[in-house]
Amino acid sequence: MAEVFIKRDLPLVLIFIIGILVIIEFFFPHPALSAIKAELGTWTVVIANVSIFLGLFYMSYAQYRLLQRQKTLSGYVYFITPFVALCLFFIGAAFPGYTSSPQYQWLYQNIYRAQVAMYVSLPLFYCYYAAYRAFRIRSIEALALMLGGLLYTFRQIPLFTYLCPPLHPIGEWVLLVPNVAGGRGAVICVALASIVVGLRTLVGKEVTTIEVR
Amino acid sequence: MSMSEKTIWDKIAELDIRWIYLLTIILIVIPVVRPLGIPILVSEPVKDFYKTIDELPPGSVVAVSFRGSLGLLDEQEAQFIALWKILFQRDLKVIFYSPTADGEIILDMHLGKKVRPEDYGKKYGIDYVRLGYAPIGEPGEAAFALDIRSVFPTDYKGTPLDEIPMMKNINSWKDIDLLIFQYTSCTDVEIAIRQWVVPYNMPVLTMTLGCCGPMAAPYYPKMIKGFLSGSIAGAELEIIGGVPGPGAAMTDAKNLGIFGLIVSLILGNLAYWGRRLSKEGGE
Amino acid sequence: MSASFWEILGIWVAVFFTFSVLSFLWKDNPYFKFGQQFIVGVVVAHNILFAMKSVYDNAVIPIMTQGRWTLIIPIILGVLMYTRLHRDYAWASKYPTAVLVGTGTGVMITGILRGQIIDQAKMTVLDVFKSSNPVDIFNGVIILIGVLTSITFFIFTKEHKGPLGISAKIGRIFLMISLGANWSGETVWYLTQMTGRVMFLWHDWIKRAILGIG
Repeated sequence: MAEVFIKRDLPLVLIFIIGILVIIEFFFPHPALSAIKAELGTWTVVIANVSIFLGLFYMSYAQYRLLQRQKTLSGYVYFITPFVALCLFFIGAAFPGYTSSPQYQWLYQNIYRAQVAMYVSLPLFYCYYAAYRAFRIRSIEALALMLGGLLYTFRQIPLFTYLCPPLHPIGEWVLLVPNVAGGRGAVICVALASIVVGLRTLVGKEVTTIEVR
Repeated sequence: MSMSEKTIWDKIAELDIRWIYLLTIILIVIPVVRPLGIPILVSEPVKDFYKTIDELPPGSVVAVSFRGSLGLLDEQEAQFIALWKILFQRDLKVIFYSPTADGEIILDMHLGKKVRPEDYGKKYGIDYVRLGYAPIGEPGEAAFALDIRSVFPTDYKGTPLDEIPMMKNINSWKDIDLLIFQYTSCTDVEIAIRQWVVPYNMPVLTMTLGCCGPMAAPYYPKMIKGFLSGSIAGAELEIIGGVPGPGAAMTDAKNLGIFGLIVSLILGNLAYWGRRLSKEGGE
Repeated sequence: MSASFWEILGIWVAVFFTFSVLSFLWKDNPYFKFGQQFIVGVVVAHNILFAMKSVYDNAVIPIMTQGRWTLIIPIILGVLMYTRLHRDYAWASKYPTAVLVGTGTGVMITGILRGQIIDQAKMTVLDVFKSSNPVDIFNGVIILIGVLTSITFFIFTKEHKGPLGISAKIGRIFLMISLGANWSGETVWYLTQMTGRVMFLWHDWIKRAILGIG
């Protein structure tokens, strides 16, 4: 009984106590409560950082699983590559300046930035492909989607506002009136749902938030 | 007409999409190699963004919550550089803090290299301070607002904040006059709303990607006083602030690439409606 | 100003990884996979290095110099997170998670009610009744209609028929316009990123690294 309480129920009680303390502080900002809230905020930062090596464990396990599926030369190369990258960056950080050292910055700029920037660029072509293959104007909703999209696009590209100046205030109107209308409705509904989920979490109904598989 | 004959609509529908990819790449390359020099108009959210900073009394304290991402610098670098110049041109005290690791790296790249505070007569520790990186998230942002030292006990060099002249009388939200909240994850705007605007009625400006601008618009202008969205906003800020930078070149280079989208939309719908109407006409 | 050896080498390395990602447009290939595996290691290393520094700055230094002994507790809780790797002890990782979830939920709930519901509703109504400019009133009316109808779209407990059906349909149109604006923002963002890469290839790779100009 005590074991079940410690392993299952006490963490849920902790969520409730901490959550309620933070909520009470919002309505009654007593210095002691504010200090507790600030301290808890610091704790979340420290906990998240201390547990960072979990990422390394999970990466290693994922690589191991990948290797089991493909035990070929290329499989071994793909298995070892992330660890080589890891070691390279750790070596870069070993220079004076840690992650601000020119060596680390060189690695990060030329490898990370180049790749991530390119990863974010690729969906451009898939957007165009989707527009060609799937975007059919066969309903009023599709027409609304396209008009909202195109008018706002024209506002963001100077060539169109140069050739047709009214496109600038029209695009801005789309952003600040119908977009706000739809967006605000969505914000309110999402907020209502978030409060429900938040309250369920506090009273222990949403156990998935802390369950461990 | 026999079943094997393809109509013009069928040919359009079966176009190899790589032609459109090639067209797009060519249309992007042309203005990069040969700039078009098309003028840019300034929008209301950017005007309000600039106006809010411009109207700050001398000596005001501005906190910059900087969640920059290095991979997304092409989209936002113009905004950053224009803002740093505008802030350093004025008699303001600026506190930079980074909830993302990339934010620190970008500040290393910019401050002292692309934008030199010394050129504006600013001294570190007196006119501006960098608190460094801590992955604070929303609870950390709340803690920062209540007590800066609870999340950042030192600056990015490890100097205790109490030993930095500028930070002697700056402890919490009460000592901050404006928050500039930069983010790359669209829903993060809600962190600024929930942890700064709602509890403390803090004036907030936001800077974000182009795709996140429409999600920030519902909070403008009453809760967010102004916002920058995308690289064009950076170019607009350069114009209104009188601080030339990389935004104009980047915005100019985008002028033709969007035609790939327009061509795709037109061809896709032409093929669909052409086939549908010719089938209905035949029946 | 001529570029140094390390700058040129850096440009070539960046170009190598740029094309490794771009090659995916042709098809999935070993060159792309290699780049993909490499970035996984880079991201993990980067986050570990910054996390270690953050623990030092946010916990170790305050404990040693300011006597903030309470910070030993989150360090212990952070270590407890690793118990999730063993089935028999994984229950212990619920405690640090409870602190994270409890704090996060608390700070979120307090701001949501006013910031995302009450103030949003207030702004929607006041835009209509407090404006004197006819254009602002017109825009305010559109926003009011749009907000009310798009909220009705999210009522899933009643069938969308009759007046509710009409309202939900109008709301859907407003939501589609909003989605269109978001989609447009995304597309232009991707275009900007692609343009940035083309600018890098042209100015840094072709002009500087290959031709030695600039």
